[in-house]
Amino acid sequence: MENSTQESHLRSDNSVTYESPYTVYAMAVSSTPSPTNLNHQSIALGSFLEDYNNRVDIIAFDPDTLSVKTHPTLSFYHPYPPTKLMFQPNRKSSSSSSDLLASSGEYLRLWEVRESSIEPLSVLNNSKTSEFCAPLTSFDWNDVEPKRIGTSSIDTTCTIWDIEKGVVETQLIAHDKEVYDIAWGEARVFASVSADGSVRIFDLRDKEHSTIIYESPQPDTPLLRLAWNKQDLKYMATIQMDSNKVVILDIRSPTMPVAELERHQASVNAITWAPQSSKHICSAGDDTQAFIWELPTVAGPNGIDPLCVYSAGSEINQLQWSAAQPDWIAIAFSNKMQLLKV
Amino acid sequence: MGTGVQNQESVPKNLKKQLALAVRNIQWSYAIFWSISTRQPGVLEWGDGYYNGDIKTRKTVQAVELNADQLDLQRSEQLKELYEFLSSGQTSPQARRPSAALSPEDLTDTEWYYLVCMSFVFNIDQGLPGRTLSSGQPVWLCNAHCAESKVFSRSLLAKVCAVLTVVCFPFSGGVIELGVTDLVLEDFSLVLWIKTLFLDSPQPIVSNKPIPVSGNKNDLVCPSLDPLIIDTELSPILGCEHLETASPDVSPDGLEPNQPGEYSFLVQGIDGGASQVQSWQFMDVEFSNYAHHSLNSSDCISQTFVDHRSIIPLGQEEKDNGNGLQDVDECNQTKLSSFGLQNDDLHFHAVLSVILKGSHPLILGPQFQNSNKESSFFSWLKNGLVKPQKARDGTPQKLLKMILFSVPHMHDRRLPESPEANGFTDAVWRPEADDICGNHALPERKRREKINDRLMILKSIVPANSKADKVSILDSTIDYLQDLERRVAELESCRELTELETRTKRKPLDHVERTSDNYGNNKTTNVKKSSFSKRKTRDADEVDEEIDHVASKDGSTDNITVSMNKNDFLIVLKCPWREGVLLEIMDALSILSLDCHSVQSFTNGGLLSLTIKSKVVIRNIRKHFKSNFC
Repeated sequence: MENSTQESHLRSDNSVTYESPYTVYAMAVSSTPSPTNLNHQSIALGSFLEDYNNRVDIIAFDPDTLSVKTHPTLSFYHPYPPTKLMFQPNRKSSSSSSDLLASSGEYLRLWEVRESSIEPLSVLNNSKTSEFCAPLTSFDWNDVEPKRIGTSSIDTTCTIWDIEKGVVETQLIAHDKEVYDIAWGEARVFASVSADGSVRIFDLRDKEHSTIIYESPQPDTPLLRLAWNKQDLKYMATIQMDSNKVVILDIRSPTMPVAELERHQASVNAITWAPQSSKHICSAGDDTQAFIWELPTVAGPNGIDPLCVYSAGSEINQLQWSAAQPDWIAIAFSNKMQLLKV
Repeated sequence: MGTGVQNQESVPKNLKKQLALAVRNIQWSYAIFWSISTRQPGVLEWGDGYYNGDIKTRKTVQAVELNADQLDLQRSEQLKELYEFLSSGQTSPQARRPSAALSPEDLTDTEWYYLVCMSFVFNIDQGLPGRTLSSGQPVWLCNAHCAESKVFSRSLLAKVCAVLTVVCFPFSGGVIELGVTDLVLEDFSLVLWIKTLFLDSPQPIVSNKPIPVSGNKNDLVCPSLDPLIIDTELSPILGCEHLETASPDVSPDGLEPNQPGEYSFLVQGIDGGASQVQSWQFMDVEFSNYAHHSLNSSDCISQTFVDHRSIIPLGQEEKDNGNGLQDVDECNQTKLSSFGLQNDDLHFHAVLSVILKGSHPLILGPQFQNSNKESSFFSWLKNGLVKPQKARDGTPQKLLKMILFSVPHMHDRRLPESPEANGFTDAVWRPEADDICGNHALPERKRREKINDRLMILKSIVPANSKADKVSILDSTIDYLQDLERRVAELESCRELTELETRTKRKPLDHVERTSDNYGNNKTTNVKKSSFSKRKTRDADEVDEEIDHVASKDGSTDNITVSMNKNDFLIVLKCPWREGVLLEIMDALSILSLDCHSVQSFTNGGLLSLTIKSKVVIRNIRKHFKSNFC
């Protein structure tokens, strides 16, 4: 049968596990239902092999039957591990039967995910010379302005792309050191974190100035990840290198975090805000645990406790909480991807 | 009516009957008695209630015949039972319930309202019943569905369930609440009437707790002592939250304390007790509808209904700030339809979650039902930290670090050192980072601007710099300075050397210098010339010999090279140009008896370069020599 699909799932009452042939890092959950079956959700998994040949697989998740299906042709090669994968947010289902996936590596690449094939759409490369490239550490797709993607790179710059035209909208030297993550707030405002330990906000309308809203207490301690609360744009979360704390920032009161969530017993690897609630955030770390926190208006004297917890089999490296499936959280640890019901 | 002692702690048995009687009498929808909780002090909770409103599906056990009253009583009981069942957290409705039990789909909206009310608790001063208790005065709320939730916390529920009028009055240590799905204009005689139904003897309405009174001149009034007294004494105090603009009964402005007949004043932003405005605010467009209806220009509901938002995914709502005040009807429409669309469990959850703000044990968040078997997550145990399964030996955040640190370098070894090397030009913006902490912003910015100005000046001074960024400017300045220093060093050393030479060679050549006096002040030339001349005279006798080059000084602007081939002299000469120097040189040459047949000269930047080809005329030399040196 040409249309062979495999079902690889470990069914339990409330979680679904998919075991991949290789270690998984990059992960993305689609914002639109799969073109084949409206109940299914597409999930893209990027491998992590210290090798030139890496792969990205698309699998379909069915929340009703609690199963995931792979499709052998929904897969493509990627040079070196993709540092991030993301589907286009808020993709209008009327636009086409396909989905757009972006991947970052040495360049930003766009892929069209169709029913049974993936077509490369474009490679967005900003270097003037063919010799040099500035590899990307992360990117973010603006959900208000879906033609805009911002990328962060180790050459200290952030580049804003207009992907419809395939050109650079603008490029900013964002930090003094490598930029590790970028997150959009509104249509023209983004923030980034860097090895220089600062969180800076940029407004495309005023490219002369940026605003530092937080700097790590030990100078030059890199901040590795950033997440902006899309439900309440005042709040952001970031994690520091080798730190077990999730730092919650209020952009109105810079330099002082509003909360530091310190219940992980090892360093935190990933954070994501709840897509439907402004008060909830999920974090996962090397202690194999994923916490869901509810941020109170007033914190107790002992700090904030998580609402609930999940323990995985090994260190959790990746976390995705999709707006399309607010009941499910996807985590990745070693070579497994798990979907957890919230 | 029963004469039972109105015990403040417990709900008397016949209260239900009284409630039933009261509400049937006035043909309202429901009556609730809120009593002081025995479990939690200072809190009003559901005491008893009677439902008299519309019923959708009547479920009775066939065998039993009931009259109308009993049917209604039974209905209330069934509702209570359903509530208890649901609140115990079981999701499967089939488990262990009598066959005639109600299930969620059997209820009308008004019944839902009644049922959900069972879950409510009010602090003293909070919500309509709470404030009623604290103030000790009856409260009549029209258009309950439009009230601000600070005033009437169930307003949203009322809106959905079309409960339009709610009246509360304190009774027997608690509060009796009556509600109806029609709009009934305020009429406190009705309240009095109800009260008389309840009371057969005057009862003081005393509250056990010291109630903080805010702004009302409120002594503990005993309005029920005498219905007539009530009228006169209650004048300044009765509150009617009347938010309907068109109603003729409303006096929208302030207190009218001196009119005993009028008991209305607008409630302006009652604070205290009601749920605190949380700092985690929603830009929730739907709630701005209430602003429409509110006479006050008070701000939109700032309550956050976390769960509401989650359970009702009404497509992509605009999250614009302060924009898009939707039509009330449209909003109603969507809410009701969304309620209808979901399945019944969801309906229940939706209704509950709309009201409850997370403090209720039923709802922690619609997803976070830890008692719900469906979630993968376990609730957090305060003191029992779940132990990690493995001891951490390796690098923390290993994969994340590799993704950020090493993977980018896997791609290409030849990475640009700076963004400029990658071909970036002025198209790249370099924003100035504003540190907006403390008072450093302004002087810091000024300092930076000064630095930038100085750098611009430097750029204009230093040549050969096309790039505008600071590093390039400084680099080219450094280069330029070093170059200048080098030149200065050369010039100085050159000058010293020539001075030295001039001093050492002056004496023996005095005689020759006479001939060179025509040259003026150009000492270096003279030195050269004199040495040249000397050699010439010596060699003049040996015309066959070849003369090698006269060594020329390196690095100086003057030099002279002479080469000879048989009878032909080739003289290459450089010296600083001045007026008439060429003529003097030619004169000197002729004195030396050199017959020039080719002269090439050019000046370049103040330097004169001469190339002279000449022949020697021998006989003249001898004469010249003799005449000069003998």
